[in-house]
Amino acid sequence: MSKLLKVFLIASFAVASFSAKAVTVASWGGAYTESQQKAYADTYTDPSSIQFENYNGGLGEVRAQVESGSVTWDLVDALPGDAITGCDEGLFEDITTEIAELSTPGPDGESMLEDMENNGLEYHSGWDCCVPQIFWTYVVFYDPDAFPGDKPSSMADFFDVEKFPGKRGIHTWATGIVEKAMVADGVKPSAVPTVLRDQTGALDRAFAKLDTIKDHIVFWSSGAKPLELVKSGEVVMSIAYNGRVGAANLAEGENFEYIWEGQVLDQEYLCLVAGAPNRDAAIDFMMHASTPEAQAEQAKYITYGPMRASGIPIIQAGEPWGPGGVDIMPHMPNTPERLKVSIVSDPQWWSDNGAEINERYSAWMGN
Amino acid sequence: MEVPISTAELLTTDGVPLKQSLKKAERKNKIRAFLLVFPLLLFIIVTFVMPIGDMLLRSVDDTQINTVFPNTFSEFKKWDKEKDELPPEEVYKALFEELAYGDKIQVGRALTRMNYSKSGWKSLIKNTSRAIKKAVKKNEFPDSYKDFLITANDKWADPTYWYAMGQMVNFQTPIYYYNAIDMTYDQDQNVIRQEENRRVYVQTWIKTLKVSVYVTFFCLVLGFPVAHLLANLPLRYSNLLMIFVLLPFWTSLLVRTTAWIVMLQQQGVINGILVWLGILNDDGRLSMVYNETGTLIAMTQILLPFMILPLYSVMRVIPKSHMRAAQNLGAKPATAFWKVYLPQTIPGMSAGGLLVFVLAIGYFITPELVGGKDGKLIGSWIAYHLKTTLNWGLCAALGAILLGVMLVFYWLYNKIVGIDNIKLG
Repeated sequence: MSKLLKVFLIASFAVASFSAKAVTVASWGGAYTESQQKAYADTYTDPSSIQFENYNGGLGEVRAQVESGSVTWDLVDALPGDAITGCDEGLFEDITTEIAELSTPGPDGESMLEDMENNGLEYHSGWDCCVPQIFWTYVVFYDPDAFPGDKPSSMADFFDVEKFPGKRGIHTWATGIVEKAMVADGVKPSAVPTVLRDQTGALDRAFAKLDTIKDHIVFWSSGAKPLELVKSGEVVMSIAYNGRVGAANLAEGENFEYIWEGQVLDQEYLCLVAGAPNRDAAIDFMMHASTPEAQAEQAKYITYGPMRASGIPIIQAGEPWGPGGVDIMPHMPNTPERLKVSIVSDPQWWSDNGAEINERYSAWMGN
Repeated sequence: MEVPISTAELLTTDGVPLKQSLKKAERKNKIRAFLLVFPLLLFIIVTFVMPIGDMLLRSVDDTQINTVFPNTFSEFKKWDKEKDELPPEEVYKALFEELAYGDKIQVGRALTRMNYSKSGWKSLIKNTSRAIKKAVKKNEFPDSYKDFLITANDKWADPTYWYAMGQMVNFQTPIYYYNAIDMTYDQDQNVIRQEENRRVYVQTWIKTLKVSVYVTFFCLVLGFPVAHLLANLPLRYSNLLMIFVLLPFWTSLLVRTTAWIVMLQQQGVINGILVWLGILNDDGRLSMVYNETGTLIAMTQILLPFMILPLYSVMRVIPKSHMRAAQNLGAKPATAFWKVYLPQTIPGMSAGGLLVFVLAIGYFITPELVGGKDGKLIGSWIAYHLKTTLNWGLCAALGAILLGVMLVFYWLYNKIVGIDNIKLG
């Protein structure tokens, strides 16, 4: 064997073993992962040790990795429902003690979990395996030019095709819509989860409300779609992920307006996969990514709000926090006055009933 | 004169019977041949036979939950639903114990399974477990386990949860197959139809089959003339045209799908031109996308090359002289085409048709993007349950039915056309 080849082989083994040490984080890709890269990885002690990989949500791949025993992901960026199921099933590792010992407390000495409760969240079993990331929301937005006179401002307006004629963009799964329909039907936003959970017939009520606009809906299934639909005039208003609308307003010079009433706040977590190859390094990164500072930092790059209450004062004190010297708080979903008219989605209830409601919702769409 | 025939065995030069020696040489060849094929065989077993076998097993398997609640289930089976509204004390006691001492992760996995049979199991068991563990920690064991559980959560007094438990008390179950066609069990394990507002799968199956058949048909109608043109043009022109067929074939699926949305939407290119020409007025724009029309158009275009290529390679080798000879013998062009040319293209049509149909029936990304509310084909449901609800049993059952449908079509095809008639070139 030539000397060169030997050197090359040794070098490649060295590289392989080196790159195997990197903590692999499965996340959603696009602008969101980019904001994580900048806010969490670039501010970490060793940015090169964090590698992001794209995935499309759900626990399918995680379960396949854990069941087959060849785990390649260390961390997964998960929705709360997946965090709960993953933690219950042991797909994510229970790190309650690590979180209690290693997480950064808030400025008044409150623990990370207390800090989250201060933000209106309730404990669920996902908290045993995961650390908080951001709030994102299903929000209705529109192009003000489409309404020369009165502008829609409430969920009732979104469901009123007489007063505001035109099509509405709605996604093809039930999360977020059911809650909005309840608000349009007169339920106080903060009471929606309780009503859905405890009142029999609440779902029928939501579906009856949806029936009233059924012929005026364009359904979308990927996050970029609602912006295209509204921009092209295909619909006059649409439900969207607020981060997408924020990016269009901040980076592309659009002038969309939101209807904050009835926005549905959902959570996002970073969870440790059971049997992760770089467990300790991954936990260290989790603790870094869940500090109030790191969470506030992420708001510089995307309009998703920190899940720790103590992240918000950091942003407020640092304004203009947004790109190019823009104030970011006006674009954030979880300011105190917006929270008053918002629904905090109940992941445990969705985790119980999601499959059934989604089947019902699909049957409703198809008929 | 008679030639004496030796009855003695033929021997090779080294004295070994020829037969044996030949066999030996042959055996070496056989082993060598087998060894050559072996990697391929292994590959097929590992990547094809085993996963499909595993899928079929999963579609009827209910072992996991039965290992978590063995005592609860065996006591449950003794419950006489006619006599008592709620299960007897023994069932509550067994459940209490199995939740108190069961492995947390195994119970967690069982929860996911239980929730398929009735929504709400997950939080019910989790809340109850918490109460039970608290009691066990304090060493406080109740006199009546039934009362304890019902106090912990009043849903334990709701017989519908107990009825739903009946779906999982066996190690093997056909329930996933029933679910895949909108059926379920009632309280006595009789098969009944799913609640009306949850019936989605039958209509999805019908829609999937309809779309696949239509797409195959449109591909054939559109692909045939193109393939014919390609096969009959001089090479330099046909090569150029071939690039037009292959270029989209090599382009990303998502790019093509998005391009169709730009073309077809109400504020899109086609509607724009029609309005500009005055054929449509501005309020009467056609909706050609986010419905079934969009699905059919986009899928047909995307799958068209799979029809054109096999047709082309079959048509290219049909001698041109056949048509000329037929017409020479007095057939009109249409008759000659119908009687002489068309039958010779059947292998190509079959290959293309089967390819397009097989691909179409499992399609889900394109229909979801352009299909709007009609865009959920059976593939979407498999992906949904695989990723979101983790109901792999139902996934496997849906997959197995899909496989069954394919086999039925294959069998029909073999009966009507004959499988040896298929040709890719």
